[in-house]
Order: sequence, then structure tokens, then C-alpha cells
Amino acid sequence: MIDPQVPEEPGSVRHGAVGPLTRTTGRQVLVLADGDGPVDWGRAGVRDVADSRDFADGVVPPEVLRESPAVVFAALGIAVVAADPAQVGVLAAGATGRPVLSVSPELVHHVLEQGTASYARGYRDGVADLTGRLLAAPAEEPAGPAARFEDTRQATWGVQAVGADGSALSGRGIRVAVLDTGFDLDHPDFAGRAVTARSFVAGEGPQDGHGHGTHCIGTACGPRTPPAGPRYGVAHEAEIFAGKVLGDDGSGTDAGILAGMNWAVTNRCPVISMSLGADVAQAHPPYSAAGRRALAQGSLVVAAAGNNADRRAGSWGFVGAPANSPEILAVGALDQALVPAWFSARSLPGRGGQVDVAAPGSEVCSAWPMPARYNTISGTSMATPHVAGVAALWAEATGRRGLELWATLVQEGERLPQPSVDSGSGLVLAPR
Amino acid sequence: MTQVSVTVDERHLSALDGVVQGLRARGMQVDQVLDGLGIITGSVPPGTLGTLSAVAGVASVDEQRVHRLPPPGAPVQ
Repeated sequence: MIDPQVPEEPGSVRHGAVGPLTRTTGRQVLVLADGDGPVDWGRAGVRDVADSRDFADGVVPPEVLRESPAVVFAALGIAVVAADPAQVGVLAAGATGRPVLSVSPELVHHVLEQGTASYARGYRDGVADLTGRLLAAPAEEPAGPAARFEDTRQATWGVQAVGADGSALSGRGIRVAVLDTGFDLDHPDFAGRAVTARSFVAGEGPQDGHGHGTHCIGTACGPRTPPAGPRYGVAHEAEIFAGKVLGDDGSGTDAGILAGMNWAVTNRCPVISMSLGADVAQAHPPYSAAGRRALAQGSLVVAAAGNNADRRAGSWGFVGAPANSPEILAVGALDQALVPAWFSARSLPGRGGQVDVAAPGSEVCSAWPMPARYNTISGTSMATPHVAGVAALWAEATGRRGLELWATLVQEGERLPQPSVDSGSGLVLAPR
Repeated sequence: MTQVSVTVDERHLSALDGVVQGLRARGMQVDQVLDGLGIITGSVPPGTLGTLSAVAGVASVDEQRVHRLPPPGAPVQ
């Protein structure tokens, strides 16, 4: 990914950097093997090691980055070390405990011209914790392709784009968990539906005091023929599990979100939809473990890639947590032309952290707490429940769960003439 | 207090109670044991998060993040 000219061999230990070198700092970037084992830095003669765990939020201050002879980014398993060739040899040989997977010179980068910019972007984003900055590349004005879908009296553009309106499947018998701000339990469009609601926010019940959760549940599981307005829901007979993990103020912590995931997995929900995230570029280990264990138990976790791009200004953003855990299906947002929406986050460079699939996420009409009843908003949050709904239809149609269900979404999706870093394997499509 | 999530390694998934005891012995106030995921949440005094890593069965210890949505009226959510 960093340099497409030099494909990396799986498992290879690489010494030295690849790609168009400019300047180096004299320090080395070490990628440590997975795990939390200690490194005996003293054995390589490296002293005064700063560890990101010693700082609030794991944020190593810039002055420490600049002045410390060695900085360990614990959550990344990466260290930046001032070491001479002999010391590098000791580290690379694995004599210091935890194995070292690669050693590369730390590079100095400048904004580069087109063509080499992707390399700079890849490297710089990869060490985003070090730079704490995002690349502001020159804007590329999209040609503005024509819309392929629009809302009609029968169905929203999103329901049409994923083919839900042409599908014979309904999600019947499939539990879809939406972990969000709760649900408007009195919404008339959902009268008579099977709804299990639970709050994981202290002091608040499952009733939606924000609107975001009701909107997401509407897209994933809204009715086939709402009493008023077009169809906006995908899996119209799915069983709804509404887990409130974000409070009425729209915020929540890992504890509540993990509790909601645990609830959904324990209740055998084949699909867990999470239109939430934090704008951090590194995968958060608990979500990787949770996503992996959910898959192993037959629950596919779908999460929003994030809205931290501003493509109109040439800023591509990055997939935030939890969607940047490879074990969680990350969803990017498309507009009515099936082009990535201007806010939709791009894949992180390197392995993991990628956008996996894309779905409608611009000008999405869905349910909203009464009395408003409906609302039209945009976001990767709106794309995510489209995927959750489609996943429920495939789960019903095929009986597949977990990774098999993930593969089915990818296998059956429509490829788009867009960069895969933005749309992954393309637009998810419902079974016919 | 620092809110933390403790991820338990694969080998200890069926022995969460022992891990919980180990965490408590090192000063963690345990709030939730998420047996479906193998994750334990709770809190520790500031600056002591790293000491939990030494408990047998702990794969990682991470400070909890806060996730925040835009206000209901925002056009992009």
C-alpha cells in the first residue's frame, strides 16, 4: 500500500525504507510484534524510553516526540528510536524480548507533487500519532457526475440503490441490533413490530432523546409501506434490538458501547450496526477483540467509517475507531451519483483501517422521533444501517453468519468506478 | 479515576473469574464483565493503568474513549 511498486512479501522482515526517499531523521521506526510483551531496551543500549501509556489519552506531547531518544506507541506496537547500526542490529535480531518485525529509517517529508503525494500521504498518515496532523492535499475538483438515484413516492433513493425495493426478502427472523441513541418506542411507523430495547447509559432509558438512533433503526429496519411517505427501511420484518449506548446528548463511552455489543452477541443478533466512532487513526484493541469474537459467535459488526473528510477542500480524512479495526466492517457513504460523499472518510494506509463497503449516506430520509416523524440527514452514520439491513436480508436468504455473511456482502456488491480506498468493494446490494 | 477496558486473551476466555480477581487485587474497580466478548470494564486510580497488564490473561488494557455525535440538527451525522 505504501509503495505499489514494491509489493511486500507476507511475513517478511524489511530493513530500510521503500519508495522515494527524501531525508531521514537518523532515527529508526520499529514495528514490534503483536502482543504486549516488554522490550528490554537496555540490552540494546537504548535509555530514557518514553511510553505513550505514560501520557493522558496516550497522546505523546510533541516536545517528547522531538527530544526523547526512544518513544514507544504502545497501542500501535511501534517505536521510534535513536539507534546506531549496532544497536539496530541487536533490536532487529530479536535479542531484546519482543520480536521486531521491521526497521525503517524515519523520514522527513514535505508536501510533494502529484504522483508522489500518495506515498507521502501513506507514510505520514501511518505515523499520524507522531505528526498529529492531517495532510491537506491540493483539491481535486470532481467532475460532478449525474445522480443515478432520487427519492420517489415509493422509496427513498437509498432503498432503491441497494435494491431492497426489488428484493423478495424481508429480514424476517433476523435480529438486527442498532447500538446508538436508543429508539422512539412510540413511533407510529413501528407499531406492532418486535422491538427489544435496552439502555446502557446510566440514568437514561432506551427512549431516543436525540433522533440519530431512530433514524438509523428506520433505515435498517423501517416498514415496507409506511403509513405516510416513501419506503425508507431495508429489512422491514427484521426483529429490532435497540441498544442505547449514546446518551441524549449524543455521547457515550467504550464501556457502554462494549456492553451493548456484548448484549447483542449474547442475544444472537446476526447483525450489529454501530453508527458511531471517535476520530482516532489507530485501531482500538478492545474493538478488534470484540469484533473478532462477535464474528466467531455469528454476529457481524458493521460500523461507520467516519465523517472527518472534507473532499471539497482536498482533505480525505481517515477511518476512525471502531470501524478501523479490521474485524469490523467499515462503511463509507455514497451520494446519489454513487460517488463518495464529500465527508466520507478514506482508508488508512497500510493493512487494516480500510473502508470495506459503501452505501447511500447523503440526503437520507428516515424515521425521526415524534412529532417530527421523518428527517433527511447525511453521514456515514446513515450509510451504515443500509448495510446492516442488507446484511439481514442476506442472513435470511442464505443462513450465513459471521465471516461468511461478511464475504457475501463483498461477493454480491456492485463494484464502482471509484478508488477502493473510498468505497471498498463497492455498493452493497440486496438479494433478489 | 481512569475508565479502562481490559481485553482478556483467548486462553482465559473460559476463566474470566480468575482474571477479574487478579484485576481487583491490583486495585481495579470492576464495573462490567462482558463474557460474550471477553472484555472487563471498570476504573483504576490515575496512572496505575499499566499495572493491570501484569495480570495473567490480560491481552491489553486501554483507557476508554468518549464517542460523540453531532447535535440532532446537524446536516452531517
